[in-house]
Amino acid sequence: MKKTMGRIFNIQHFSVHDGQGIRSTIFLAGCPLRCRWCANPESWNFDNSYVREVSLEEVVEEIKRNIIFYRHSGGGITYSGGEPTYQKDFLKAMVDYFYKLGLDQAIETSGYFNFEELKETIEKLDFIFTDLKHMDPVKHKELTGKSNGLILDNLKKIGKLNIPIVIRIPLIEDINDHEDNLIKTAEFIKSHVPRAQIELLAYHQLGNYKYDKLGLSQYKYVFKTPSEKRMMESKGLLENLGVETVKFK
Amino acid sequence: MNSQRIEAARQSYINEKPSICVERSRIWTQSHKKTQGQAVELRRAQAFLDTCRELPVNIYEGELIVGSSGNYRKTGILTPEFSWTWVDREMDSFEKRPQDPYTISEENRNYLRKEIFPYWQGQSLEEAFLSQVPEDTAQLLIDTGILDNDSKWRQAIGEITPDYEDVLFPQGYLGIKKRAQDNLNTLEAHKLEDLEKINFYKGQILISDGIMTLAQRYSDKARELADLEEDPKRKEELENISYICSRVPANPPESFQEALQFVWFVQLSAILSENPLAMNLGRFDQYVYPYYKKDIEAGLIDRDKALELVQALWIKLSEWVWTISSNTANYFAGYNQFQNLTVGGRTRSGKDGTNELSFICLEATKLTKTHQPGLSVRIHPDSPEEFMMAVSELVSTGNGFPAIHSDQAGAQMLMQRGYNPVDARDWSNCGCVVPHFRKTGQWTSAVNVNFGSALEFSLNAGKTRLEGKKLGVTDKALEDFESFEEIKEAFLLELANLIKHSVIGSLLAQKLHTEMVPRPFISSAVDGCMDKGQDLSKGGAKYNLGPVLTGIGLGVVANGLAAVKELVFDKELTSLEELSRALEADWQGYDELRELALAVPKYGNDKDYVDDLAIEISDFFYEETNKYTDIFGSNFNTAFMGISNYVPTGKVVGALPCGRRAMAPLTEGVSPFVGSDVTSPTAAMRSAAKINHDVHTGGTLLNLRLNQELLETNRGKRNLSSLVRAFFSLGAFHVQFNTISSETLRKAQKNPENYRDLLVRVAGYSTQFVNLSKEMQEAIIARTQHQNF
Repeated sequence: MKKTMGRIFNIQHFSVHDGQGIRSTIFLAGCPLRCRWCANPESWNFDNSYVREVSLEEVVEEIKRNIIFYRHSGGGITYSGGEPTYQKDFLKAMVDYFYKLGLDQAIETSGYFNFEELKETIEKLDFIFTDLKHMDPVKHKELTGKSNGLILDNLKKIGKLNIPIVIRIPLIEDINDHEDNLIKTAEFIKSHVPRAQIELLAYHQLGNYKYDKLGLSQYKYVFKTPSEKRMMESKGLLENLGVETVKFK
Repeated sequence: MNSQRIEAARQSYINEKPSICVERSRIWTQSHKKTQGQAVELRRAQAFLDTCRELPVNIYEGELIVGSSGNYRKTGILTPEFSWTWVDREMDSFEKRPQDPYTISEENRNYLRKEIFPYWQGQSLEEAFLSQVPEDTAQLLIDTGILDNDSKWRQAIGEITPDYEDVLFPQGYLGIKKRAQDNLNTLEAHKLEDLEKINFYKGQILISDGIMTLAQRYSDKARELADLEEDPKRKEELENISYICSRVPANPPESFQEALQFVWFVQLSAILSENPLAMNLGRFDQYVYPYYKKDIEAGLIDRDKALELVQALWIKLSEWVWTISSNTANYFAGYNQFQNLTVGGRTRSGKDGTNELSFICLEATKLTKTHQPGLSVRIHPDSPEEFMMAVSELVSTGNGFPAIHSDQAGAQMLMQRGYNPVDARDWSNCGCVVPHFRKTGQWTSAVNVNFGSALEFSLNAGKTRLEGKKLGVTDKALEDFESFEEIKEAFLLELANLIKHSVIGSLLAQKLHTEMVPRPFISSAVDGCMDKGQDLSKGGAKYNLGPVLTGIGLGVVANGLAAVKELVFDKELTSLEELSRALEADWQGYDELRELALAVPKYGNDKDYVDDLAIEISDFFYEETNKYTDIFGSNFNTAFMGISNYVPTGKVVGALPCGRRAMAPLTEGVSPFVGSDVTSPTAAMRSAAKINHDVHTGGTLLNLRLNQELLETNRGKRNLSSLVRAFFSLGAFHVQFNTISSETLRKAQKNPENYRDLLVRVAGYSTQFVNLSKEMQEAIIARTQHQNF
């Protein structure tokens, strides 16, 4: 039988910012979006030195070595990327395998995928982190290469599943931190994903060096990191609008 | 917050340089002049009594726990009966030496050379050892860095845990003296078997008088100071101190402060009797708790007062200085006395024994920031979560404390050595990371064995790389080997040879100790000696365990062998000839080959390719060492523990095939090579846990560095405690964390005056970063810092 293969650019063990407890984060390569602030440009496609091809068996073997740490801490696995749904067959194979072992599984997704194709897989997850980068479809397209229609649609569907969800906003000064955008975000969440919590992540430039290394310098944009004060104000605004915020850092 | 008096004492502890006081050696020598011809155990007991009678008595401002080993607040004493030649050789440069400098006045130096050293010439343990050690053993053992046991003939042994539970607190020294007298009355001088016992019990009477005299002199001194004191509050304190010192250690303690003062008098007496390494405080939170509880319930003290008293004891434990040679100081860097104190863990009945005093001890270390006691915790599955969080909290302060131990692994190690399960459950830590039970006589750190040298000999026709001396047993040149298995065999033969010579050096030292430096005072604190009428050095303890050989460089030799296997045999990327030339050249001109060597899997990343070698080597070390027995017929033991020994041992080893350059540090305990555990702390822990910890009954040690930020939140602290629990569930014994940022350490190097209280984990213990030599500081900074957690 043909081996199930996938492409990853890292498995980071002892990851503690992407869910509960001590976790292993599997970074899958490939992404349909091209966010201008992306900190992992090595994840855009498969043909660079960061990305390696692995079999399901190899991933399972590596993950199993860390199960004892998940069990003691209430941790587990987090699928990240890139966009982890981009390799949907490989994601499905991993989720099915680890579901059978009863491992806690979380995903970090942009929300840009075909929901029907992945519904069964998503339902096996224990926690969902999904992004909501901008409420304005035109701005969203300009900043990420895609409109936000599919993402908002998927958010509504995910909201109907019985899975804890955190909606992350990568907060970038002058891009998506305006009051108007935050209010629209809060309104959307309240009406369509009422159980969701929001986590604000401050934009950082730590991934910028990778653009030069990958020969992608022409795609490198530099934005402003919001100040601590701005972060607090935004958090306060969202909370006043009746949305719960959370922090995993 | 520290009270004003604790803060003042802390400042003096941080800022004062230790000074050598000659009083103890003066009195000790004069006493010996008077007792010539008597039995050696009685001479030593009499010298102790004379010291207690004549030693200057000093109570410092604001002190609550009193007693000092000499004329300075930070005093180091000399024990010329063990060794004086190194003092003679080194004392003119005491002030200037890089590791652990001392102050000593010219007057004192002249006095020592004129009055003290001449008496001991030809009489010291060191001279006896050096004149009797076989030549082939000597060339491996004496100041070589290949084998090292100089702390067993230049120093006293220490390495005991006074039995407060069953011997000292219930009886007091009046009780001990009475028992000795009663036993003495039953003996007959015409019976050969009674002769030694008679001397032993006479000695017990002398040392009991000694410690009680010392305490009474402190009582008198406190009374004298109270009479002069104008501040009514301090006057009352001094009167109380006077009362306490008149009661303990003659009688069983009745209050919390009496219990602590009792402990310090025992500690101080042990210091005066032999200047010991690793005079441990055992399960302090267990044997002192009843006094705490009683005083709290009676409203005599509150929690703050108890904390202040514990801090006062911590300062006492940190002020005295273990005077050691510069060679020994390289192995035991940082003025460390290795007084280990254990809190938490199961009681003898198997229930969790964590109590309020356990928390107070953690807090005292957090607030006082003294390098002593070596604070250890025992963790088991039912340890309270509050305790786990308090442990994580202390870890997060970045001072390297506490040493975290698996309660069950420790008990397992003791049962492996034949302790009954109840005693095994009651273990506490000795020195660095040795699981230990208080009713035991054992040399817990007998010889350091340099695994790097064994590998070097096998790869270099039995010769040292740096000096070309033929010290090993291998005759074959590296290029003449035909398989990896053959090379591995050669390494194991070299290791076996080092083990054999370690045993030879230990047996001789053990024998000389029984003849020359019996331990009457120390024997009073160890159960069994009184019953048997036998000195501890002669096997008087209830349990006698064989000496511990400590393996140094497990990680680096596993890496080295893995590199030979992959580069030469599995992947054929180089030849033995080329590798041999590269090692001889210390990789100069072989940059490409070194890159390949560095890319071979390294121990500490959960890679079986190399970890399997570490398991095989460590199992062999145990099996080979365990074949030998000591002078009591007990099997020798193994350990992979720390101390700072991985630096001096590295200095004598040339380049190794894993890419390590000549003279670089080796590896400590079961820790990975510095900077090579690049995967994650979970991988480093999995590698370390693969070692069969239970057979290495002398203890195993894992040091990891974590980014401090990771412990700032409660989530982070909880994850740390989960990490530890997972590690222990894999069967491992110990882990300790350094959580200071590299940036902070660099700043401390630049402006040491601003960072004098910065404690870091060296290996198995913590000490002031600024008190470490530049080289040690660099070694600490170079440890991999796991950022991702």
